[in-house]
Amino acid sequence: MSKENEEKLNVTVRSNTKDLFAFTKLVPNRIKRIERASSEPLREDPINDLAWKLHPEKQFLIINEIKEETKSTKTFKLVPDPDSITKELAYFRSGQYISLKIDLEGVRITRPYSIASSPKDALKGFYELTIRKEENGFLTHFIWDHWKVGTRVESSGPEGFFYYERLRDLTQIVGIAGGSGITPFRSMAKAIIDGTTDAKLTLLYGSSEEDDIIFYEEFKEMEKKHPAKIKIVHILSCDVVSLEGCEKGFITKEIIEKYCDVNSSTFFICGPQIMYNFVEEELKKFNLPVKRIRREAFGEVKDILTHPDFPKEVAEKIFKIKIHIGDLTEEIPAIATESVLVALERANLNPPSKCRSGECGFCRSLLIDGKVYINPVSDWRRSADKKFNYFHPCASYPITDLVINIPRDL
Amino acid sequence: MNESKGQRIEDSYDVVVIGAGNGGLSATAFLAQRGVNVLCLEQHNLPGGVATSFVRGRFEFETSLHELASYGPQSNKGSIRTMFEDKLKLDTEFVQVPEAFRLILTAPGEELDVSMPFGVENFIDTIEKEVPGSKESVEKFFKVAKEIRDAFSYIRKMKGKPDQGVLFKEFSNFLKTAAYSVTEVENALGIPEKAQKILNGSWSYLGVPTDRVNFTIFASMVLVYAEKGGWVPTNRSHGYTTAFDAKIREFGGRIEYNTRVDKILVEGGKIVGVETTNGDKIKTNYIISNASPILTYNKLIYPQSEVPEIAYKDVNARILGLTGFVVYVGLDTTAEELGLHEYAYFIMDTMDTEEVYNSWSKLQAPGGLACVVLNNAIPDCSPPGTCMLDITTLYRPEAWKDVKPEEYVELKNNLAEEILIKFEKATGTSLRDHIEEIEIATPATFARYAKLYNGIFYGYEPESWDSIVPRLNMMGKDVYIEGLEFAGGFNRQAHGYSSSLSDGLISARLTLQKLLQEDGKA
Repeated sequence: MSKENEEKLNVTVRSNTKDLFAFTKLVPNRIKRIERASSEPLREDPINDLAWKLHPEKQFLIINEIKEETKSTKTFKLVPDPDSITKELAYFRSGQYISLKIDLEGVRITRPYSIASSPKDALKGFYELTIRKEENGFLTHFIWDHWKVGTRVESSGPEGFFYYERLRDLTQIVGIAGGSGITPFRSMAKAIIDGTTDAKLTLLYGSSEEDDIIFYEEFKEMEKKHPAKIKIVHILSCDVVSLEGCEKGFITKEIIEKYCDVNSSTFFICGPQIMYNFVEEELKKFNLPVKRIRREAFGEVKDILTHPDFPKEVAEKIFKIKIHIGDLTEEIPAIATESVLVALERANLNPPSKCRSGECGFCRSLLIDGKVYINPVSDWRRSADKKFNYFHPCASYPITDLVINIPRDL
Repeated sequence: MNESKGQRIEDSYDVVVIGAGNGGLSATAFLAQRGVNVLCLEQHNLPGGVATSFVRGRFEFETSLHELASYGPQSNKGSIRTMFEDKLKLDTEFVQVPEAFRLILTAPGEELDVSMPFGVENFIDTIEKEVPGSKESVEKFFKVAKEIRDAFSYIRKMKGKPDQGVLFKEFSNFLKTAAYSVTEVENALGIPEKAQKILNGSWSYLGVPTDRVNFTIFASMVLVYAEKGGWVPTNRSHGYTTAFDAKIREFGGRIEYNTRVDKILVEGGKIVGVETTNGDKIKTNYIISNASPILTYNKLIYPQSEVPEIAYKDVNARILGLTGFVVYVGLDTTAEELGLHEYAYFIMDTMDTEEVYNSWSKLQAPGGLACVVLNNAIPDCSPPGTCMLDITTLYRPEAWKDVKPEEYVELKNNLAEEILIKFEKATGTSLRDHIEEIEIATPATFARYAKLYNGIFYGYEPESWDSIVPRLNMMGKDVYIEGLEFAGGFNRQAHGYSSSLSDGLISARLTLQKLLQEDGKA
C-alpha cells in the first residue's frame, strides 16, 4: 500500500457533511436517549432466581420422620423448616449430596450425605438421608443422641458430580456399592422407576453382615416390579450366609462378569475407601476406558497413615497453624494425621467446606508458609492453584507449622 | 452470617473494589501498586468472575476465554501484555493461538468453509482467494481500522479531551464512521457481500448483529486480532487471575473472598462505606464497582433514596447484552484423531447475523456457535491421548426466564445434544463415544457463580449511539454518586476480557486522581 493511497482514502457513508454531522450528534443523542428513558428501578432478575432455586447457598431443614433401616442405620426425612426462608427444596440429580452444617455443642462442622430419595420427592417437599452409625464416629453418635423429629438441620444446596449423564454414559448403569454407599443408588433406582432417568441399573451391593444390608426389602420390591430396569445382587463378606441368591465374598472380576455385560455398561462406585481399593483393582482387569468408571468422592481420608507416601515421621506431631480469617489472626494446634480443615473446625473458626474430599474446592485457602501433605487421589486443585500455593484444607495435612489465609464461610 | 470470633472486617479503606472480575482485579492491582489502601471484596471463593477454570475428572476447563485481544507477541506487544508484563509483572504465561478462526456456514445455498490466518496481509489475501476482486475494498477496511485504532490511542493520550482540529485533520475517517454500523460502512467501502461474511466471521465476540453494532468498535477488534494474534494463558484464565491475586497481596492490597457486598452506603450523594452479608462495616469514600450499574443502582446503593433518577434512566436507556451457554467436553481421544486441526471454529447457519441473533432469543438449537479446541493452542492442557472442546453459544436472557428447576437438566442436555450434533455435522467428526467428561453452563450458571444480572456477560450492546466513542466522550458526566466509579464489561470500553481489564485501569486512575486532589486540599 503506497503512502499516496493512504492519503487518498476518504470514506463516505452518506455524504461528507452528513457523516460528520452524525458524529457530532452522537453525544447529544445519547444524552437525549438517557433523559427520555424510564426511571423505574429494574428489580426483576429471573435468571438469578432460577440459579438460586437450583443452587441455594443454604437450606434450612427440619426432621419430619425417622425410620430405622437396620440395627445401625436410620433414614431421616427432611422438610423445609417452616420458620425459615427455605420454602421449597432445591431439585437435584440422583447421586448428588447435600452438605450438612452441624453444630456439635458450639463447634460447627460439615458432613456430606448423598440424597437417598428421588428428585421428584424434592418437588413433593422432602429429602431422605440414610445414615449409618459409625462405631468410632463422634458425629454419628451425636446424631443418634440428638436428632429427633423436629430437630433443625442446616444444609448446602445439592452438590457433586456423581450422577448419570446421558450424553456421556451408557444407559446400562452398574452400581458398585458398599455399606452406606448404597444411598445414591437408591435415589438413582427411584429416579429410573419414576421416569426421571431413562436408564437401567444393576446394583452389586457389598455388605459385611446380612443384617447390615440397607434397603433390602425395598430393592427386592423394586426389582420384582421392574425387572427390566432394576437388578440387585448382594455380596456378603461374612462366613455364614442364609439369604437366598446372595454371593459370598467380595465384588470380584468374576462376580462382575457373572451379572453384568461389562462392555456395554458404565460403572458407578460408591462406598468406603477399602472397597474402592479392592474394586478398582478388579475393574482394571477389564481394561475399560477411563470414562466408563465414575467414582463418588469418598469423603475425608480415614487413615492417612496408611498412604505410602505420607511422611510417617511426623505422624505423632502436633503443629501450629497461624490463621488469617477476615480480620482475625489466631494460632491453633493441628495434628499431622488430621486434615487442616478438621483443625480449623476444632478451633471453632467456622471455615467453609462442603465435600470434604478435595473435590468441590469450597474450602480453597492460601498457604502462605509451611508444607502440607496432599493425598494425590484427593488433589483436585486447579493447576494455577498449585503454582500459587492455594490448597484445599479438607484434603491437606500439616507436616510443618503453617501460616494460612482462609476465606470466611458465606 | 459469620459472627464468630472477631472475623469481621471493620477497618476503613481508601478504596473498596466490589468484585474481583477482570475490571476489579486490574483496578485493585493498579491502586495497590501505588500504595493506595485498597480492599477488593469478591462474593465467590475465586478471583476472575467468568475468567476462571474448573476441574472435572482429568480435565481443567477454561470457563469463557476464547482468545485475549491486545496481548500480542514480545516483538509487538499489545496493551494487555504491557500491563501484565511491564507494569504489573504478573507471573503468567501466554501462548498464541494458531489461526484467527475457521468459519463454517451451513445454510443451504450459503455453504462456506474457510480458515482465516492472522496477519492483516494474510487475512486480506485469504478473502481475496475466496472472493476474487475483494482485495481493494478489504484493504480499505483495514486502513480505516488503523485510523480508528490511532484515533483511539490519540484520544487516550489526550485523556479523553482530544483537540477537535487534530481529529478532523488526522482522523476524519474515524469521525465519519463513528456513527455507523458495520454493514453501513462495509457497504460504503464497496466490500462484496461474500467478503463481508468472512470479514465479519467473529461478530459473535461482540454479539450484536452487523447492521446494529458500531463499526469503530468492531473494526478495532478485527484489526487487533489480525495484527497481534489471539493469545491464551497456559493455565486457563484462572492462571492469570490468580497471578493478579498474588500480585495484589505482594503490593500490599487485600482481597477477601466469600464476602458479598450487601449495601453501598451513601450519604448526601457521597459514598461513605459498604456493608457485607458477613456483617462487615467498612468505611470508604471511594468505590470501584465491578458489579454492573444495574445491580449497583438497583440492589446495592443504600438507602435507595440516594439513587438519583438519572442513574435509573442511564440503566434503562441501554440495551442489555447477551448471556450464554457453553458445552465443555473432555474427550478420550486426541484432536488429531478427531480431525480437528483448528483452534477456533465459528459455526453459523448463516451470516445473516440478525437471523442468528434472533435464534438466540428462543429456547431452541442456536443458529451460531463459537468453538475452541484448546489443545490446538496448548497441546498439553489435558493428559496425553485426550483433548478438550468448548462450544459456546449465546442467548437473550429472556429466553430462559420461565425455565423451571425440574426441567432444567433435560433442557440443557437437549440443547447441548443439538449443539454437539451441529458441531459434528459441520466439522465431519464424531464425538459422542469419546465424551469422558461433559459440563454444561447455562445463563443460570453464570448468574450462580458470578452473580451477573440475568447472567448477562456481554454488558450493554454497543450500537453506534452507545458505542465506545460517545461513552468515552461522556466520561465524568456519568458519575451520579460522588466517589463511585464502575469497571468492567458494562462500562465505557464495552465488554470483553481486554476491554474490562483496561477499563479497570482507567477507573483506578480516575479514583487515584480524586484521592490525590483530596490529599492536596487537606
